[in-house]
Amino acid sequence: MADGSASRVQDFIGDPVSEKPVVPRAKLEAIFQDIQADLRFDHQLNGCLNCGICTATCPAAHYYDFSPREIVQLLWTENLEGIYDAMQEKIWSCAQCYTCAARCPFENSPGGLIMLMREVAIKHQMQSAKDVLRPFSRVMLKLISTGNQLAPDMINPQHFPDWGPNISKVDAPLKLLRKAIPMATLNTTETAWEVNLKTSVELYTIWEMTGVLDQLEGIDENLFDVITDIMGEKREDWKDFLKDQED
Amino acid sequence: MTTDNGQGRPTQAAERFTGHGSEWKPAHLSPGEAATATAWVEQKIDRRSMLTNKDRVKDVRDVMWQLEKDGQIVVHRVTDAHKPVMVKTLYGWDKKIPTNQLWHHKSCGQCGNIPGYPVSLLWLQNKLGISYLDETDQTSCTAWNYHGSGIGNIESLAAVFLRNFHQAYVSGKAQGLDPGHFYPLVHCGTSFGNYKEVRQYLMLSAKLRESVTKILGKLGRLVDGKLLIPEEVVHYSEWLHVMRRDIQKHQVIDCAQVRATIHPACHVYKMVPEDVIYDDDVLDGNRVAVSTGLVQTLGAQVIDYKTWYDCCGFGFRHIISEREFTRSFAIDRKIKVAVEEAKSDVMIGHDTGCITTLDKNQWISKAQAGNDGKGYELPVMADCQFAALVCGADPYRIVQTHWHASPIENLLDKLGIDWRTKKVEFEAYLATIQKGATPDQLYDPRLRITSGPGFKPIKREVIPPPPGSDALMP
Repeated sequence: MADGSASRVQDFIGDPVSEKPVVPRAKLEAIFQDIQADLRFDHQLNGCLNCGICTATCPAAHYYDFSPREIVQLLWTENLEGIYDAMQEKIWSCAQCYTCAARCPFENSPGGLIMLMREVAIKHQMQSAKDVLRPFSRVMLKLISTGNQLAPDMINPQHFPDWGPNISKVDAPLKLLRKAIPMATLNTTETAWEVNLKTSVELYTIWEMTGVLDQLEGIDENLFDVITDIMGEKREDWKDFLKDQED
Repeated sequence: MTTDNGQGRPTQAAERFTGHGSEWKPAHLSPGEAATATAWVEQKIDRRSMLTNKDRVKDVRDVMWQLEKDGQIVVHRVTDAHKPVMVKTLYGWDKKIPTNQLWHHKSCGQCGNIPGYPVSLLWLQNKLGISYLDETDQTSCTAWNYHGSGIGNIESLAAVFLRNFHQAYVSGKAQGLDPGHFYPLVHCGTSFGNYKEVRQYLMLSAKLRESVTKILGKLGRLVDGKLLIPEEVVHYSEWLHVMRRDIQKHQVIDCAQVRATIHPACHVYKMVPEDVIYDDDVLDGNRVAVSTGLVQTLGAQVIDYKTWYDCCGFGFRHIISEREFTRSFAIDRKIKVAVEEAKSDVMIGHDTGCITTLDKNQWISKAQAGNDGKGYELPVMADCQFAALVCGADPYRIVQTHWHASPIENLLDKLGIDWRTKKVEFEAYLATIQKGATPDQLYDPRLRITSGPGFKPIKREVIPPPPGSDALMP
């Protein structure tokens, strides 16, 4: 039943034949408000005639029960329950190629809207986000503690068995292969390139000031603890360096 | 169980397509009828109309200049010293591509996994006598992580963008050079798309500018108390494009017999598409010009294929934790089509994730039902690696082909490059390094540290290595 206000949001929310507990409307509204509050929302959602060009060209739609058209429709019609349901799994299917955005006649960005929904799923510490992001912890640890998202020591046959036996066609230790790269910044194994200490300390300040560390703590407290320890030491190293310069 | 009628379609008795209602009926069109029925669609898709038939498109640089005029920001200009070349973008707008005094903004995926990618680019720049800086004071753009995980937000992305580009602006100071001497050249396609998108939001949102000004202020990375915004965000493939004829002058290997397919990267041309180079001389302007223009100029045959528009399957998150999607998409929609339809000898790309995905996910195709354990094999590399090869770069010491899983050797054979001898030479070179020999370098390694531990504040001159036979430091 409509509540009589201008909102298109329905009072009754929930599937009458589902055994899943009904999600409180206040929670659903809070989630939607967080999505809407992002400054990108109004740029990325301009209208939708259900033409389906986005879904027709979507790589994820080939393989998953996923449709960018559906996501846009849910947001456009403010279908709070549908939005919540999509955030349990569907939003994580998107491959983030932005083909949908390039094609949409309304200049919507379904891929961009999905990013807002992913951010909000993390903010609300949804279990779906925790489950989906568990394999990503290696990348998070590397990125936040070094400033690099990927490093040579992350690429090995144990992690990528389906890449086959030819990950390296020259049989030599990784360290030696890296040393033979004629760019001095690349003679590293634990980071993609040699990162200045000041740089990683500055990046950590950005994470702190933009709430990214709070996001991380909500999703993976153990990883958060490890990272804060590592970065605490790096900050001390940086302070020591500055002090040495003064002396 | 799905069966095939020999035309690549399931038969009626087989399991139907999913996603259609019960009223859906197969049309039973002959291949000729199907071609007629879809001709209009293909014609429209082949043209740029899906990108250009839009309203409300505006050049964000107009906002940028107004903000500078209003005293709110400072613009890092592409000056004459950067020897810019003007190109046309999707709507015919001008874009200035700096060609000299470049600050290499590296890609973590390239450096970590495909090191021959940046090495080939710097090697080509040495060949052409280009001045550049490759330094340690830079972070990843963080956008791979963001698009994969959702950890991050518009403020963090913007702050990282502004921090890195500010460092590019002041980096010359370590060599006694003026601010703005070096101009950032972005290596990664995702960084390129992300930075352009972030620049748009920075120009359009006073609230975002206000919040990141506080962060950049704390980092000491404002210019006269203001945010520094780059006049252009430039991808390395754009540099290659405008330099393609100069590169061709150094070509020593004929590649006319090579059939090349191009994989345009989504984040290069689908994110902020109005900023992407199109050239009427490159496939009649129907495709993004970068890479295709270079490969054509070098004399290889660029072969079109029906899934050129598809992504590679990287997916950001998927390559880590949904690999079945990544490898299936890469094989079925890209590699298989390039091999069977285009009879391609090599697939050329211009982005980190694409090269990784398409290069690494071929071996597993042997396990695909119906392949009888054969799989699909197609050499995959970046445009700059291909250009370096035909300009005589060593396939191991420079192009670093041993980091590729795809059968690059097939391409080397076709180009007449004796890779077996080169490989033996490289292994001998590794042995000398192991015994303590100093490895070759493309530039003076001391230049890489511009501040902090390890930096020695001495005035240095920017002297690129002289163009030579191997473009390495003596």
